[in-house]
Amino acid sequence: MTLLETENLVKEFGGLVATDDVNLTVEEDERVSIIGPNGAGKSTLINLITRRLDPTSGDIRFKGESIVGLEPHQVVQRGVSKSFQTASIFPDLTVRENAEIAALAAERGAFGFEFLKHRDSLTDVHGVARDTLDSVGLLDRADTIATDLPYGDKRRLEIGIALASEPDLLLMDEPTAGMSPEETKSTVDLIERVKRDHGLTFVLVEHDMEIVFSISDRIVVLSRGGIIAEGTPDEIRGNEAVQEAYLGGVEL
Amino acid sequence: MSEKDANPSAKDALVGGTLFGRWEKLRGREGTVVGITAILVAVFPYLFARAPVVSGFLQGYQSLATLILIWGIFAIGFDLLLGYTGLLSFGHAAFWGGAAYAAGIVAKNVSGDPIVMVVSGTLFAVLLAWVLGFLSLRRGGIYFSILTLAFAQMFYYMAASPLAFLTNGENGLTGVEVGSFLGVIHLEADVPSIGGMLLGTWLYAFVGVFFVGAVAVAYRILNSPYGMVFRAIRENEQRAEFVGLNVWRYKLMAFIISGGFAGVAGSLFTIHGAYVPLQSLFWTESGDIVVMTVLGGAGSMFGPVLGVGLYLYIENIVSTIQALTIPFTGIVLVRDFGFYWHLLLGVVFVAVVWVVPDGLWGILNRLRELAVDLGSKAAKRLRARSENGGGGQ
Repeated sequence: MTLLETENLVKEFGGLVATDDVNLTVEEDERVSIIGPNGAGKSTLINLITRRLDPTSGDIRFKGESIVGLEPHQVVQRGVSKSFQTASIFPDLTVRENAEIAALAAERGAFGFEFLKHRDSLTDVHGVARDTLDSVGLLDRADTIATDLPYGDKRRLEIGIALASEPDLLLMDEPTAGMSPEETKSTVDLIERVKRDHGLTFVLVEHDMEIVFSISDRIVVLSRGGIIAEGTPDEIRGNEAVQEAYLGGVEL
Repeated sequence: MSEKDANPSAKDALVGGTLFGRWEKLRGREGTVVGITAILVAVFPYLFARAPVVSGFLQGYQSLATLILIWGIFAIGFDLLLGYTGLLSFGHAAFWGGAAYAAGIVAKNVSGDPIVMVVSGTLFAVLLAWVLGFLSLRRGGIYFSILTLAFAQMFYYMAASPLAFLTNGENGLTGVEVGSFLGVIHLEADVPSIGGMLLGTWLYAFVGVFFVGAVAVAYRILNSPYGMVFRAIRENEQRAEFVGLNVWRYKLMAFIISGGFAGVAGSLFTIHGAYVPLQSLFWTESGDIVVMTVLGGAGSMFGPVLGVGLYLYIENIVSTIQALTIPFTGIVLVRDFGFYWHLLLGVVFVAVVWVVPDGLWGILNRLRELAVDLGSKAAKRLRARSENGGGGQ
């Protein structure tokens, strides 16, 4: 089943075309990576899908329904979650509360009137938060204030927040950016484990080719806003257009 | 066992340690918080206005004790918005003054029953907060603050002249006659027997019940999903939206809830004074509540109430001091000291914000941590001594 579909998607910033007529499909249970040189429009594409940006034209469909015109939180409620490039967490809350916020939105919807209901009675929310922290390996640090975590753990928490929203599709914007080799390795392990445990479909934007080639089912290559190639890791490895895009811009 | 029995002082220290631990556990419970608040509210006017020595030193009086609780309710609600949700409203005078006028107008035209006054004033403030929040929350940051200020000032000028037939314009709303509570209890009358010694007037008791109720409701809100969502919005609004929360509606709810607290307080203010000054809608009232909240400690439940207490104390009591003298001597340091109360308040405010950004409550918290620290060290030392003593036997 097709989970996500973009149709002739265009985004212009003034005269600059950041996303140029992109037709992307993501099937259920698929692991898709989006690669491309700097400025290829990878982050713009992710931001269009999460509704952080309005497209200039074109359509985005999730589970067959258009999500253009929805607010970002409505897109999340439909089942698209995003982990940010920087550790976008709630710094002064505990690790547990960070996960509970996302679990609350997943279990109780975007808004509710329960301002006189005690938090202790939200057992479903506590359960989801617990399970998520367990799967990202932060359960033993649940009572730590998030800002006191080391950087690698903050990024794991960031992914944990995205997971606690119980998405059908997870968009990950450079999950290993700024990480040490050990942290990168543990994050890759985490992604693979999450994939196995949750049966999640995900779209990964990543610079690290080693990671991309090892965990993707399919790779989409963007250059100057448009898709120039897509296929399995093996197909992409031998693709001339891709090598041109990566090396052609450099005057050797 | 026998070793420990041989050293009673160490045993006491251990029991004290567990008692303290038990207290620390109870401290966070809702019932404890509300109960302690009720006790403090009950003894406050006695200590402030009637107790020997203490009240003589403080020079407090009954009516000021009532006023502190009224502003306290206002501040608790304001802090839900400023301290917890991270939204700085500069227009809360609209809800405070609006409710005060609504309660006063209802008393003059419909019914002077204090309950009716509070309900109608609060309802008016909630509806107004809904409308103004809807309009002001379209913008974030400083623009939000300016919008709230502008809307509140609009109400001030409307009350001053176009609506003078309702509000009595610049003279303020006079001739408000507050009826008796449940038709039998006159609020100005003293509470009989021991209650009278502690609480003083029925008015204080009436306001006190609302204050304890406000504390209970605010504490519950902070421990509900809302408390968590409010803090999440304060910390990282964008992330809150991207976990799937409707941030806009939660912000509007924070605004309405805090407007509701301001409404209860404003209505009580009319009952307290039987008069609504035009100034209750002026922007300085909005500024006062910001200063009180920050002074006491924004983002804490009781800090803002301490801020209210200190602010009103300086405004009403320190300002009446004729000459500042060195105690027990006749040497005058400053003549007309009370005249400079605004300056004194400014200096206190700057000092607190500079030295302890988390306000008076932050100072108390640090003292408490220090005490816990010293206590646990002392207990450890005693335990170590008892073990050594036991080994020696």
